[in-house]
Amino acid sequence: MSEVSMKQETVKEKKPAEAQPEAAVQKESVFKTEGINLWYGDTHALQDIHLDQRENEVTAIIGPSGCGKSTYIKTLNRMVEMNDSVKVTGKIFYRGSNIYDRKFPVEVLRTRVGMVFQKPNPFPKTIFENVAYGPKIHGIRDKKILKEIVESSLKGAAIWDEVKDRLDENAFGLSGGQQQRLCIARCLAIEPDVILMDEPTSALDPKSTLKVEELVRELKQKYSITIVTHNMQQAARISDRTAFFLNGEVVEYDRTDKIFSNPEDKRTEDYITGRFG
Amino acid sequence: MIRSAFHSELEELKKEIQELGDRVEDQFSRTVHAMAGDNKAALKDIIEEDEEINELELKLNEQATLVIARQQPVASDLRRIIVCLKVSSDLERMGDLCVDMAKAYLHLPSLEAFHAFEKKLTKMEEKIRHMLHEVMEAYGSLDMLKAQQIATLDDEIDQTYGSFVKELFQTSYSADQTAQLAFTARYMERIGDYCTNIAEWIIYEVNGQRFDLN
Repeated sequence: MSEVSMKQETVKEKKPAEAQPEAAVQKESVFKTEGINLWYGDTHALQDIHLDQRENEVTAIIGPSGCGKSTYIKTLNRMVEMNDSVKVTGKIFYRGSNIYDRKFPVEVLRTRVGMVFQKPNPFPKTIFENVAYGPKIHGIRDKKILKEIVESSLKGAAIWDEVKDRLDENAFGLSGGQQQRLCIARCLAIEPDVILMDEPTSALDPKSTLKVEELVRELKQKYSITIVTHNMQQAARISDRTAFFLNGEVVEYDRTDKIFSNPEDKRTEDYITGRFG
Repeated sequence: MIRSAFHSELEELKKEIQELGDRVEDQFSRTVHAMAGDNKAALKDIIEEDEEINELELKLNEQATLVIARQQPVASDLRRIIVCLKVSSDLERMGDLCVDMAKAYLHLPSLEAFHAFEKKLTKMEEKIRHMLHEVMEAYGSLDMLKAQQIATLDDEIDQTYGSFVKELFQTSYSADQTAQLAFTARYMERIGDYCTNIAEWIIYEVNGQRFDLN
């Protein structure tokens, strides 16, 4: 092999004609994770995580069950703190401020970082109330403004046309796929900067999955998105960068096209080609 | 992806590509020998048989497309399938070049010039056939070192072709004869280039990098 490697130096590598220097315009980091460690009691669930999510990009987190990907995404809005046995060390910078600094107000973080979960979880309220709930909590009482927010959020989540004539109906009457897009609309209503998605399509049928995927691609024009997914084809389809987690560590983090065409680490290759996991 | 299914489908594909390789190697050798023996009937057979090679390539393309659709391979698995498509396409082009050689021979107004250069052509055929054989072996075993050695063989063929044409143009045979012979040598040299292409695809399959071995 070494002989081969040496010989390779004598031949010139072909560059695809359209290849551009990577990130000619370097996008700004939205989240910068620096050495995050997390324990559930004695279990070391995240080990020295370093990641950098960029503005207006979709970052996919992939890995087998129990690798820490959902735990990691919940460190980004400090939801992990809801579990008393959790201990976190390290830093995560959101737009330059360390969110694990004791002085950092978690309420501000939660308004800037929205989250969509695996199972659609609408409130037992009308479609309108589901979307207006967040803005109301933030003190918006003007009905005209609320109506505008509801409409633009539902449009943003590509569900407006399906629900505009039934805004007063209970959200539970919607299909699973519609409920999930309603939850995305609810998330958009608080005008977040970042959207975290924890396996948002794993409970949806293929058609609804496709709609959510299309939506994610549109949303990244305005928002930065981090998505945990079990579906590797989905990660390949919709993300700009992919992080592969294994046993609480980031094995590889790179441009998605690189990860799915020629990953550096053999463990990544083995996972994405279905050799394990 | 179901790995055992993927592997058996891939193995089947590669086996058929090897068979296509054997077929083209035989086609090439028969072409040059039919020319040397002035066997026009054999040359016409070769022209007709090309259709079978084309169909084999189409069949391989369809099989590879189905594997992609069924298994949705990524990374090295995807490269394996892409390389199957590339290698079968290169082999099919070699088959076309055999047809071009046969036609060039059949268009020769007389065999005077051919006889003068016949030995040189059969020598080139030996080298190229060896190269094709070696590159298909390297593809079967994914031997990167062997793949890189193919480039050296191609350099030799390029030189042989260069001196062949130079010598040919110094003769005073008719323009028709000279042109058809020059075409023939050129087609043979192109087969060498396709062998080098396959060598490049072997390297791509193994490590994902495209190298210009030419």
